[in-house]
Amino acid sequence: MAEVSLSNVKKDFGAISIIKGIDLEIKNGEFCVFVGPSGCGKSTLLRMIAGLEDITQGALRIGGRDMTQVGPSDRGVAMVFQSYALYPHMTVGENIGFGLRMTGHDKAEIAKRTAAAAKMLQLEPLLARKPGQLSGGQRQRVAIGRAIVRNPEVFLFDEPLSNLDASLRVQMRGEISRLHQDLGATMIYVTHDQVEAMTMADKIVVLSAGRIEQVGSPLELYHRPKNLFVAGFIGSPKMNFIAVDARPHDGGIEVTLPGGPVLQLAGSLAAAGKMTLGLRPEHASATGAGDAVLPAKVHLAEHLGSETLFFVGLADGTEIAVKADGLAPERPGDSMQIGFPARACHLFDGGGNAVLNGDLTR
Amino acid sequence: MFPTPIQKASAPARLAYKIALPIALVIWLFPLIGVAVTSLRPASDLAAGNYFGVPSSIAFENYASVFRDSPIGWYILNSFKVTIPTVIGAVGLSCLTGFALAVYGFRANLWVFFAFVAGNFIPFQILMVPVRELTLKAGLYDTTLGLVLFHVAFQTGFCTLFMRNFIKGMPFALIESARVEGVSEWQIFRHIVLPLMRPAIAALSVLVFTFVWNDYFWATVLVQGQHAMPVTAGLYALNGQWVAAWHLVSAGSIVAALPPVLMFFLMQRHFIAGLTLGATKG
Repeated sequence: MAEVSLSNVKKDFGAISIIKGIDLEIKNGEFCVFVGPSGCGKSTLLRMIAGLEDITQGALRIGGRDMTQVGPSDRGVAMVFQSYALYPHMTVGENIGFGLRMTGHDKAEIAKRTAAAAKMLQLEPLLARKPGQLSGGQRQRVAIGRAIVRNPEVFLFDEPLSNLDASLRVQMRGEISRLHQDLGATMIYVTHDQVEAMTMADKIVVLSAGRIEQVGSPLELYHRPKNLFVAGFIGSPKMNFIAVDARPHDGGIEVTLPGGPVLQLAGSLAAAGKMTLGLRPEHASATGAGDAVLPAKVHLAEHLGSETLFFVGLADGTEIAVKADGLAPERPGDSMQIGFPARACHLFDGGGNAVLNGDLTR
Repeated sequence: MFPTPIQKASAPARLAYKIALPIALVIWLFPLIGVAVTSLRPASDLAAGNYFGVPSSIAFENYASVFRDSPIGWYILNSFKVTIPTVIGAVGLSCLTGFALAVYGFRANLWVFFAFVAGNFIPFQILMVPVRELTLKAGLYDTTLGLVLFHVAFQTGFCTLFMRNFIKGMPFALIESARVEGVSEWQIFRHIVLPLMRPAIAALSVLVFTFVWNDYFWATVLVQGQHAMPVTAGLYALNGQWVAAWHLVSAGSIVAALPPVLMFFLMQRHFIAGLTLGATKG
């Protein structure tokens, strides 16, 4: 059993506060992804769990044991680094077995476990090579092999795929997910790529400026973001934000869109005011189907084959993205009618917090 | 490409290059060539005033007589007795100090590092008297051990600077990942850092070897007797009491200059750069 729990964990570098109080429970066997823009403290938080950074304040427990003051070698965790950190003077086999050799395992045991790890990661033909003779993806697999050979209870990944090219990244993403299913170990994975977070995670932790913005499953974050930051961070292309006037009306909310059209949303509002309406590009309709229709002018069309992404200007100059059919004929300069379905619209108050989530259930 | 390779320069420039290069080379190597020629010159040539002309005969016996008539073999042995322990001591110590200064962020880290660096700026000459007194009181005056200890102490400053910066240049993730794997700090040093330092150790060994081998100043300050005299200081004794035996001094110099050259070629294959290739991305 290796659940990881952080309570009010803080980290200061001198006078600068990097991690400003994190409370988090990661269940045994869970695949948890820390995601956030660069500089949000996600890597620092991972390194604190690994023991490579001191915890200034708060407590860390792994598998029920207090690990706040325990050194990295005694935490029972394995870490895969962004740079892979392979020992260049050792062969792949020696790299994988090094930790076991140094911690006094006998030769037969090391050989057995190295062979098992190599088999799992299809590294068997490469065991005698040096890291310099491997491709990026192979190096990444060796780094993972070095982690799994120790049978750790918790795996830590620090942006492991960011040095790979796009197609290899997709492939390795699948391999890591499969590894998680096979091993059933707790995994904590840091990335700045929300696609990686969405595709791999059981639980996503969105971080910003040293604080947790929201914790939840990928679909929960997609459909019910708590605030503008999460709404803008999760989903690709990102959610459109439109400045609107909103007021309570007839047991619902009435929203005035740029250019005048009015949209009726279910829900309640305490007071009228200036708010932000959020609508994902995939939910906006390029054919004008919806509960409110806005005229718009096409600025840019990106033809991706399976779909077309239009960047269009609304009456007040706001530019929004709209996902349309791959064969949509409009060209830059053309006029379009953009439909806003009420059930997909999110509403955020002046402080950026969600008043209403367009989770498609209304 | 800048500068333009000489093969692509204009014809006059190429011609000038072809003429100037050998001339510059000869001027540069002139002292060395002079010593080499003199070492093969018979004593009679020098007596007849033929210092720079073509030798009347090639006198290989100069080399034989250097070994036969002087204790140069003994001096060379002394030089080895001073140089080899110094190289091992200074390089070994600086591997440890360099590792400590590069890897651990203890409070006085930078100050200790500066102390090592600053030590290099103290001119030897002002240390002459105190160091002589020190070795005398410690009973190390006129011994090879005294020379070794002094050289180790003084070479370690520069070596530490070199090693610390070399280790700082290694990917720190190597050390961190070993730590997470449960590897002890000493094991990290022994099994990860030390093997990767091979090029630095080779380069530094040659440097320290050459420097200590060629040292004349401390050899004359700290040693008086033949029993501990290194070859640099000993060479001077080849001059006769009344006559300057330049042919013998030259032959002895050539012999004395060989070990550092051999050392260089011996260590050359360890200099290969890019030993850390493949550690990280790329």
